[in-house]
Amino acid sequence: MFVSMKWLARHVDLDGITPEELADNLTLSTCEVEGLEPFAPHLSKVTVGHVLEREQHPDADKLGVCKVDVGAGEPLQIVCGAPNVGPGQRVAVATVGTVLPGDFKIKKSKIRGVESFGMICSVRELDLGDEHDGIWVLPESDGAPAPIGAPLAEALDMADWVIEIDNKSLTHRPDLWGHRGIAREVAAIFERELKPLDLSLPALGGGAPFPVAVEDAACTRYLGLAIDGARNGMAPDWMRALLLAVGQRPIDLLVDLSNFVMLDLGQPNHAFDRGALDEGGIVVRKAKAGESMTTLDGEARRLEETDLLITSGDAAVALAGIMGGEGSKVQASTGQLLLECATFDPTTVRRTSSRLALRTDSSSRFEKTLDPTLPALAAAHFARLLQELQPDVTFPLVLSDAGEWSDPATSIHVRTDVVRRDLGVDLDDAVIEGILGRLELTPTAASGGFDVAIPSARATKDLEIERDLVEEIGRIHRYGSVPEAPLVAAIEPPPFEPRRALVRALEDRLSGASGFHQVISYSFQADATVAAAKGADGAFVAARNPVAPDQARIRRDVLPSLLALLEPARRQRAEVQIYEIGKGYRPEDAGEDGAPREVHQLALALARPRPAEGARFDAGALFHLRAVVDDAIAAAGVPAPCWSADAAPAALSHPKKQLTGRWSEDGAPAGFVSDLDPEVRVAFGLSGELDSDVAVAVIDLDALLAAPPAAAAYSPLAKYPSVKVDVACEAPAELPAAELHAAIDQAAKGAAVDIELFDVFRGEALGEGRKSLAYHVTLQSVNKTLTDKDAQKFLGRLERVLEQRGAALRK
Amino acid sequence: MTQGIDARLEDAQTRIASAASTEDLRAIEREFTGKDGVVASMLAAIPTLPPEERRDAGQSANRLKTAVLEAVATREAELADAALDAEREADGFDSTLPPPRLHRGTLHPVTRVTRELEDLFTSMGYRVLDGPEVELDEYNFEKLNIPADHPARDTQDTFYCDSPGSKATLLLRTHTSPVQVRAMERLEPPFRAIVPGKVFRQETTDASHEHTFHQMEGLVIDKDVSVGHLIGAMKTLLRGIFKKDIEVRLRPGYFPFVEPGFELDARCPFCEDGCSVCKQTTWIELLPCGLVHPNVLEAGGLDPEEWGGFAFGLGLSRLVMLRYGIDDVRHLLGGDMRFLSQF
Repeated sequence: MFVSMKWLARHVDLDGITPEELADNLTLSTCEVEGLEPFAPHLSKVTVGHVLEREQHPDADKLGVCKVDVGAGEPLQIVCGAPNVGPGQRVAVATVGTVLPGDFKIKKSKIRGVESFGMICSVRELDLGDEHDGIWVLPESDGAPAPIGAPLAEALDMADWVIEIDNKSLTHRPDLWGHRGIAREVAAIFERELKPLDLSLPALGGGAPFPVAVEDAACTRYLGLAIDGARNGMAPDWMRALLLAVGQRPIDLLVDLSNFVMLDLGQPNHAFDRGALDEGGIVVRKAKAGESMTTLDGEARRLEETDLLITSGDAAVALAGIMGGEGSKVQASTGQLLLECATFDPTTVRRTSSRLALRTDSSSRFEKTLDPTLPALAAAHFARLLQELQPDVTFPLVLSDAGEWSDPATSIHVRTDVVRRDLGVDLDDAVIEGILGRLELTPTAASGGFDVAIPSARATKDLEIERDLVEEIGRIHRYGSVPEAPLVAAIEPPPFEPRRALVRALEDRLSGASGFHQVISYSFQADATVAAAKGADGAFVAARNPVAPDQARIRRDVLPSLLALLEPARRQRAEVQIYEIGKGYRPEDAGEDGAPREVHQLALALARPRPAEGARFDAGALFHLRAVVDDAIAAAGVPAPCWSADAAPAALSHPKKQLTGRWSEDGAPAGFVSDLDPEVRVAFGLSGELDSDVAVAVIDLDALLAAPPAAAAYSPLAKYPSVKVDVACEAPAELPAAELHAAIDQAAKGAAVDIELFDVFRGEALGEGRKSLAYHVTLQSVNKTLTDKDAQKFLGRLERVLEQRGAALRK
Repeated sequence: MTQGIDARLEDAQTRIASAASTEDLRAIEREFTGKDGVVASMLAAIPTLPPEERRDAGQSANRLKTAVLEAVATREAELADAALDAEREADGFDSTLPPPRLHRGTLHPVTRVTRELEDLFTSMGYRVLDGPEVELDEYNFEKLNIPADHPARDTQDTFYCDSPGSKATLLLRTHTSPVQVRAMERLEPPFRAIVPGKVFRQETTDASHEHTFHQMEGLVIDKDVSVGHLIGAMKTLLRGIFKKDIEVRLRPGYFPFVEPGFELDARCPFCEDGCSVCKQTTWIELLPCGLVHPNVLEAGGLDPEEWGGFAFGLGLSRLVMLRYGIDDVRHLLGGDMRFLSQF
């Protein structure tokens, strides 16, 4: 909302207060000031000129060559095409070098061979209205012509400052949606008097009131004032200037007056052509099914039965509280008016205006719950302003006043001890009383504090409870004057949070030693991502109003978010190692409250080029990732789970290459490590030149939290040296490595303290269907030093054990 | 004979002094002191000498042996020193060679800043709580004193959600504040808590707007909590973040779940007289906060006559951007490795 300083000065004396001071004080006590700008700064550059003569341009019928005195030096020669320019006029002259709105810089020019040293401006060229059928002949102020050579802003008294206020900060203050309300704040802050304003209705005639029937409770009050003899035309310059300052383009007197009253008092209103209304009068009702209307902006609106209408006869003449109907425009010839000042239910107005995406100055005020006593004041204000301009207007009928409403004015008891306690300031009762009084909240001493009378203007959804008054006192006293105080409590560490400790341990290990990059991704997952991960069959929580139609889904699983990053990441680097700890949502397991079940997951993805032919032995991405997962879990103080390939693979996993982890044999799966299914890999763009060895893993954090903790114990260091033996075991290709591992363990008779696979080989040398696995075996005894002889014995036993399993020791 | 010994010794010493390697030295040593060496043959010849010469001959042989061994040891030490000196020469060392790349991992910047704040707050007795991203309307709005059709809902741009099979009114939480009431319901007062997490707003995105970002809620529930306590706590928080004292100002701000509600501005920590961060105002709007509204306390099952408190909301994403000078909020959740690998 824009506030004009000059407009404010109609209500409160601003002498000695700079625009900056005003803005700062409003910010610190009342609302958020977003900007402070001088009004139309170009008006201080444009000067008042006096047209001395106008001659016909020798080469152009429609152009005139004028001599204009701008109060400095020789009169200027200016070529002007306006039909209404003539000698004797006082006009607005933009001399060479002046910059007009639209970044239009005036230059010396030659028009059809005649030199021109400036421009005589129209109203529109000065951005002061839409009039452009001729130059602006300046009005006389106080009967005297504007002084030649004076800046226009000064000559016409148009200098002003405009304060922009963040509407959000006025959400709870319906009283601040007009200049009078802001002025009341300024008066309280600067301890000045609010200027009196006569808001009593002028004398009314005795004619029967114009019929108004309120058929719906969403209209709490409908007040209609009949006006006769009004002549439309241009609003006075002072009013036009104020409207312009706050960004409202002047239209004509009646529209401008209506806007002025709204922006002055905060009460939207509407003047109807009374002659055009049905004899049956105004009926306020909800729309009927299938009804429609065309609003003032020319848009045809389909209505719903929740929309409140102002109707006349069968026709809707206004969308209540939002916008008038097209047919209700007041014509220049209108002499008989009905001024509507009403109060509507905020929710009804808000729903209709948001459904139609039609936010107006009127609707944003009604949404805030307006004071139902305000319509009478606004009608009086309109009437008195009009009467000042056109003393012969009359108000022939008794006021129509329909609807059911009650004065919201109330009283709230405030305990001064509570004020002092909540603010943390030792305020005297007298100071509290003074502040309340300045805000026109009338305090009366009552047990332990004051009974405070809340006027209707502050009583609608604004001041409701004692704490609201604490705020009133605090903000006028200024929070900056509140002394800082330390929180005092027994020193106790907060309770241990196992989940947070777990997450930190995992992050530290993964982002540290494991060399993984942590990702935090959106909770939305694009349809394409979900489909590529073969997850489209699942039930999803979905946003009704997503930022893009294909991004409505809230993820069930974290992993697909990572998969979508792999292709661009692989374009940047050969090896991509990423993880995310995040949440997924499962509608099918909703809680009693209807909220979907929340799963907390650790998801990891590893993608790297496939190893070259004949490259050094590498266990592959899957086993590498399993090692990373085991290690991270160990770092979180939990033993590594048992991995097996017996569970059904996840949809995105390679059907044969998935390891499912469990902490106990009959336990629920805690997660998996797998290769991506080839189709999924290709769908995520990891094919062709980006073909990758991709492994993924998911660990359920709740399962991890429930897992048995690992004993935090140290193993004593061995007393005797160990012997290292390398063995290569040749075996049928289908014999699992676990069998060979068991054979080595068995042959070592408990002395194998470490068995490390260092090569897997398949080749012609071994023959079809054979493989060779090579291990570093470390043998160690707890009670003696092992020798070569012990190693030889171990190899002898291993040879026999392997034979029993269809394998052999390679020599 | 003695003459012969001296000549031999001189010859040996010359050769030893010029020996180029320990291998050469060992060969010379063997030549003189080995099994069939010079000294051995001298000793072997002693029985053939006249008895009166034998003593001298024996002494000469031993002298020769001792002298050779001494010379070898000296030369060996010289060679060892020379080898060390040669290593110290470090010919061809290029101090400007780039070091190899380490394949290290990184923590997300939001995690880094969150941890810093968690550590700061836990050191002051705050707990760290968590709450759901898919939230009930009841907790996001109703219990926070924002009933249906409250105009404040306009400023929230809520993502309302459908969940198959659920009749609940669900949404993506628009702030971390729903955890205020959840915490009051679950914890015994007094308590202090912070809640870092994702929040969502239906917004058109650009460099400074995101539909998903991070916030951190703070809540203190205790007896006799005042605006003064709130100011003290906020100053402590800012000192923790910016590592210096920061001037603050509190001005009215409207949030239905606090009363009175404030916007806390901090004196711009990046400039003295205006910069792009503070939009030339020298103040940055940092922390909406206020005393917990009595209605919210009641919604959380607490008696507002007995308990009070304050709450604040910190824009975590914004703080991360300020900390690292990030100019586009979309980088935070964009997952670009070029971004992630910097932290």
